[in-house]
Amino acid sequence: MKEEIAQIQSDALTAIGAASGEQELDEARIAFLGKKGRLTAASSGMKDLSKEEKPVVGQLLNATRGAITEALEGKRNALQDEADRAALEGLDLTLPGRPLHPGSLHPLTQLGDRAIGILRRLGFALAEGPEIETEFHCFDALNTPPEHPARNEKDTFYFDSGKLLRTHTSTVQIRTMETQPPPVRVIAPGSCYRRDEVDKTHLPVFNQLEGLYVDTDVQVGDLKGALEFFYRAMFGEETEVRFRPHFFPFTEPSFEIDARLRLEGHDPEWIEVAGCGMVDPAVFEEICKSRGDELYHPDKVTGYAFGMGLDRLAMIKWGIKDIRLLIENDARFLTQFA
Amino acid sequence: MLISKNWLADHLDLTGLSNPDFDDILTFAGVEVEGLSEQGVSTDSVVVARIVQTEQHPNADRLSVTQVDAGEGELRQIVCGAKNYRVGDKVPCALPGAELPGGFTIGETLMRKIESRGMLCSEVELGLGTDHSGLMILPPEWEIGKPLHHFVENDTIFEIEITPNRPDLLSHHGMAREVAALTGRELKAVEIPSVELTPAGEALSVEGQETCPFYTAVNIRDVTVSESPDWLKTRLEAIGLRPINNVVDITNFVLHELGQPLHAFDASRVDGGIRVRYAAEGEKFPALDEETYQLTDSDCVISDQSGTPLALGGVMGGELSGVTGSTTDVILESAWFDPPSIRLTARRLNLHSDSSYRFERGVDPQGVLKASALAARLIVELTGGRIEGPTLCAGETPSLTGTVTLDPARLQQLVGGAVSMEEAHQALERLGLTAVGDDQWQVPSHRLDLQRHIDLAEEVVRVAGLDAIPARNLATAAIPSAVDARYDLELDLKKQLAALGFYEAQTIKLIAENQLRDALPLRPLHDGDIIRVSLPLSEDHSVMRPSLAPSLLSTASRNVRQGAKAVRFFEIGRCFRNAGGGKASDLEMDALGILLGGTTRPDFWNSTHNTGSDAFTLKGVIEMILPGTQVQLTPAQPGNFLQAAQVVANGRTIGSFAQLSPSRGRELDLEFPVYLAELDLSRVCDLRGDGSHVVELPQFPGSSRDAAMEAPAELANAEIEKAIRKLNEPLLVSFGCFDVFRDPTGEKLNAARKSVAYSFHYRATDRTLKSEEVDAAHQKVLQHLEKTLPISYR
Repeated sequence: MKEEIAQIQSDALTAIGAASGEQELDEARIAFLGKKGRLTAASSGMKDLSKEEKPVVGQLLNATRGAITEALEGKRNALQDEADRAALEGLDLTLPGRPLHPGSLHPLTQLGDRAIGILRRLGFALAEGPEIETEFHCFDALNTPPEHPARNEKDTFYFDSGKLLRTHTSTVQIRTMETQPPPVRVIAPGSCYRRDEVDKTHLPVFNQLEGLYVDTDVQVGDLKGALEFFYRAMFGEETEVRFRPHFFPFTEPSFEIDARLRLEGHDPEWIEVAGCGMVDPAVFEEICKSRGDELYHPDKVTGYAFGMGLDRLAMIKWGIKDIRLLIENDARFLTQFA
Repeated sequence: MLISKNWLADHLDLTGLSNPDFDDILTFAGVEVEGLSEQGVSTDSVVVARIVQTEQHPNADRLSVTQVDAGEGELRQIVCGAKNYRVGDKVPCALPGAELPGGFTIGETLMRKIESRGMLCSEVELGLGTDHSGLMILPPEWEIGKPLHHFVENDTIFEIEITPNRPDLLSHHGMAREVAALTGRELKAVEIPSVELTPAGEALSVEGQETCPFYTAVNIRDVTVSESPDWLKTRLEAIGLRPINNVVDITNFVLHELGQPLHAFDASRVDGGIRVRYAAEGEKFPALDEETYQLTDSDCVISDQSGTPLALGGVMGGELSGVTGSTTDVILESAWFDPPSIRLTARRLNLHSDSSYRFERGVDPQGVLKASALAARLIVELTGGRIEGPTLCAGETPSLTGTVTLDPARLQQLVGGAVSMEEAHQALERLGLTAVGDDQWQVPSHRLDLQRHIDLAEEVVRVAGLDAIPARNLATAAIPSAVDARYDLELDLKKQLAALGFYEAQTIKLIAENQLRDALPLRPLHDGDIIRVSLPLSEDHSVMRPSLAPSLLSTASRNVRQGAKAVRFFEIGRCFRNAGGGKASDLEMDALGILLGGTTRPDFWNSTHNTGSDAFTLKGVIEMILPGTQVQLTPAQPGNFLQAAQVVANGRTIGSFAQLSPSRGRELDLEFPVYLAELDLSRVCDLRGDGSHVVELPQFPGSSRDAAMEAPAELANAEIEKAIRKLNEPLLVSFGCFDVFRDPTGEKLNAARKSVAYSFHYRATDRTLKSEEVDAAHQKVLQHLEKTLPISYR
């Protein structure tokens, strides 16, 4: 009996080892461990054994069953591993990857967010105002005389109601000071409108970012500090920034800001990036009239304001040569910002 | 404005001031030099040469082969295309290596196989004039071989942007005055003869005093009108003016010399003296630009005593009153006009001249007589005429400048103490202001812009330069505003949509009238709700968009025309409409627009994964951006669309949904189904919020049960969901439809019915449910559905 069991184990292990597939392996299992299998048949001989032999043979049978089961398990895993490997055969990993849906934030959103992030670091909060504006908020309150060329119907979109499309985000300066007491330190990104024909550098609708800081002791040095910080954070710590005196009706003194930047394929050059200045006392006087109080009396507060073109900044930053790319929303362009 | 460097040198010594220095000094004083051009050549390599011989080029009909003597001891062969010369003429010859004003360098070349060692030049090629018809023929006495710049002055022309607050810079003398102040160089005085002034009687009357408070006229007899001398023509041509005749040229010269516009009338055209008056309403004025303008009663006209208009005051002369070759007697006008009046007239008539440009910005009242005297002297000198009588005048020069306080405390606050009062005073003195005691400064008459403390402070900062003022950064904590909070929510939403595979579009907010049919507004639009600009640039940009859908559709169309097979775009932006059919206020509201269509994964080698987008893709996107929200599409009137629905979130309408009609799609080249949604951004942001709490993970496992039921085809999923929710079974934690089967042929299932399958998930928070408990709860749900809905179980 013991010899028979040993023979069964040996035959079983041989058969399992020789099995070349799941089916042969299963046949081997049935042949040895199945209801009519050889080991099952052998164990039926137990009843004929003596009382002394029974436990010994029983143990042997269990050990043999265990060994065969283990061999089956081992072989099954080996066959599965082999099959898994075979399944990869011929797979060409150099084929293109599956194109998932690319998506992206518009470059103006990305640039605007970067600009807002920098200015928030300087303590600015966001503000906003309507795009359909009154002449008061767009011109009168900003010290722009009634006959100023910017008010021309050739340059500004008007409505029959007498309202207009704001030509700059400086309107938000007025909106903010009308509703909030000083100090204010706000930025306002937004759309502006001018009657410019569409070409490589002009759109009738474009985007500006306005800044206004009013407090009891705002100096020219604060304006310089904030905008130097901004352009260095935007274009790199080494960026040179310069201020050229200029004229705007609602700031005095006024400046244009140039940053020395390297455009693609060019040597570094001075590029105009913003207009700015100290809030003109005449603007504060208008605010006092409009508010009906003296909180913004020019004897009490000073301030600075700045405005920059976000479309232009995006064009500089990414070397975009035609502003129309920013409104055409061509996926081949947008995917470069994914 | 154009400034000639040679002309400027008449007013101050520019020795040692290079062009870049000049540019820097002015630019950093707020007078931006926008460009410069060289006239003539300063190089020694353009010389006087004599043409010794010329013959036909053997290989080109239009070319000649010349031999020229450029003073080199031997002749030089040059191929030439011009025909206007004779052998023996002297012409400018650019030798190899010479750089010409266009920026190109002359070399030795073969032209049609014939050697050419240099170039014979025209006026244009040397930047010396406008004549490009042939070679520039030089005077015979000029010495061969000498550089041309020995005989012809070269010049630099600066193009300068003058800001509207600085009309005092609109002349060569004014610009020289500024450069002198900025560099400390000495300004040369312009020699002005003294003038005898007589208040005019009959010969001059002024009725329009508001517009013309000061008017002067000089009679000059027996002039000989002819061509101007070279020096005068050179000055005018340098700044792009065409010489006309000596009298007109002198008035133009004085305008650009001193900044005071003048006008010379032919006295024979003036019937009985000058009368300054307002125009009659509708009066016609034939101007010297050969156009006739219709005037209003606010326009100031210079007429004669008979009333015939001679000029539009301060703007332009008349067609017939000007000085011509036959003029013998001249009336020279010099006057001061009120800036807003001139601006109004020039703007309304769209008639702009060098004269109106200066008057509308403000000329120096004290310069009126000086300019008149200078021009009169030049006319006498150059035309042989004689001044008859004193200068007639009417009115008085307005006094527009006075004393202004420079407040030291305010100045020091502005500059943070970086500029001393001594430096400040020096800056003002250099600019021609005089201290009159106790921080009071007398402003010169040409600086009309200096009226307040801040105007003087600006001058101090401008002269000191911003380099002198140190940067300061005193950031303070910023409390986020409501706009900040909203911005952050919006940006998160944009990022999520980008991550879901959508491109963010930004489109122009002005759209075309015919795009309105594509609008998918949050509320129905009535015609009066549309906001149109009064004078659109073009039909394409005439309407304020009431909806994002039109631009998203044109974006999709453009991309498909460029070869895109799938379109997935969103835009967040402002839309505009009137609240009450044009009678109420204009509303601005931000919307979120989403558009999708086309295959989801185009052009993949394993194409079995390509699937089209459908309505449920877009619904799924809306569900993704509104997590934890019940989103339902409620059918609505389709209007121009194939189908439309309201987007309802937690029972509240937040926007619209639509499928583009295929016919409109074909017009836009969108040959696949296109789905659009437009949502009220503020409601979306409210629903997204950031106040939700984490739901704890279940401690105990749950069990699922499925149920298949047959229902009428028209019974909406929403009805079934509503019924399930109404039962409010406490153990039911989630459920959803996972299969819908219909058979239009009626073979497997009655075509009017559908088979739908739902999965239900049951769980308790405090224990593992027993199978019987789950079954009991499930049965309750099934019975409830069977009782309340026309369904049966399969």
